[in-house]
Amino acid sequence: MNRIVWAVALLPLLLNSNISTARPVSYTGGLTLIEESDRQSTSLLVHFTPAHQWSIGLRGEHNRNQDYALYTLHPTWLAKRWFGKNHQGNLYLHGGVGVATGVNGNPLGEDIAAHGGVMADWETRSLFASYRSRYLDAGHFGAQFAHAARAGFAPYIGKTGDLHTWLMLEIDHRPSERISMTATPLIRFFKGPVLLEVGYTLSINQPLINFTYRL
Amino acid sequence: MKPLFMISVMTLNLLITPAAVSEDHAQSGEHLHQDVSANESDSSHDMQHHQSHSVHPVEGESDATEPDGQATLTRTDEIDRALAEGGSPIVADVLGVVCDFCAIAMNKIFGSQPEVAAVYVDLDTKALSLVLSPSGSLSDAKIADLAVQAGYRIAAIRRDEAALGISL
Repeated sequence: MNRIVWAVALLPLLLNSNISTARPVSYTGGLTLIEESDRQSTSLLVHFTPAHQWSIGLRGEHNRNQDYALYTLHPTWLAKRWFGKNHQGNLYLHGGVGVATGVNGNPLGEDIAAHGGVMADWETRSLFASYRSRYLDAGHFGAQFAHAARAGFAPYIGKTGDLHTWLMLEIDHRPSERISMTATPLIRFFKGPVLLEVGYTLSINQPLINFTYRL
Repeated sequence: MKPLFMISVMTLNLLITPAAVSEDHAQSGEHLHQDVSANESDSSHDMQHHQSHSVHPVEGESDATEPDGQATLTRTDEIDRALAEGGSPIVADVLGVVCDFCAIAMNKIFGSQPEVAAVYVDLDTKALSLVLSPSGSLSDAKIADLAVQAGYRIAAIRRDEAALGISL
């Protein structure tokens, strides 16, 4: 089982975010693996939650377009959680500091990198909406602001432990990119500790593959 | 680019300043046998401003819900075994439980307690079902604290006959 989990998690690294996704803070003592892969980069974040309001993680990210990699220490703070009988809303602050280093023959060497941003989500068992942003300063590799919003719905409501399915649309805006705005329809599968998202970014023909495993 | 980021941060500051303060008002765990006052609850108020009236039935749910809308113990093999061994049942209404990650968090936190013989989170009823070991005890305050560690809030707790839906 563990081999399968790792294989699925690492697969997208071979294909190709990355602004961060579902549930970046877990329960106290929880460990989470998050892989994200979008039109520009692929990342892997492993985070630990020492207390229910924050997590600390190690993040590796490969920017495929500019041939550099980021390695950062990545804290996330759950600034606010709204509770309802039928809904949950969250507001997170996330950040990171580390190094950016050239890959695939990129001669730019290494530089200090930092990123920070906001995430917010709201969901019921059948509706979902989220927003996330990130500003990245990768030293002489450049800086970038990116943000994205999502809306989705579940075509059916499963019970605890069932396979849950969501249909979503993500609109992603990166002002510095030549094609600054893209739309990505995606499907989310969610079962127990595993979350898998598969989508396709229209207009630039790039896959989106996100995977989360919660221990 | 940078102005957009600055606007984002400033907006965020406005949003979270009161929120961060209100987070410090952690619930005491007292008065948990009352029902929640409404289907909506901000985390800063959910344990402190209870008004007594019945919880409305959860839409589309019936199998672990009494006619008055209160969730009862969800029966699983593990829970039935723990009951057969003399464990005492507890049902807690949980706010914010919407997905399997929520259920996993509650299962992990409560399942690690030596007093807990069986645990199940029912997404349909938004209820945490616990069976304590025959010699175990878990106060309302402790249950509330464990729920916070899992990232959630308890709205009401019922024990024994009330947890099983048996009218006295």
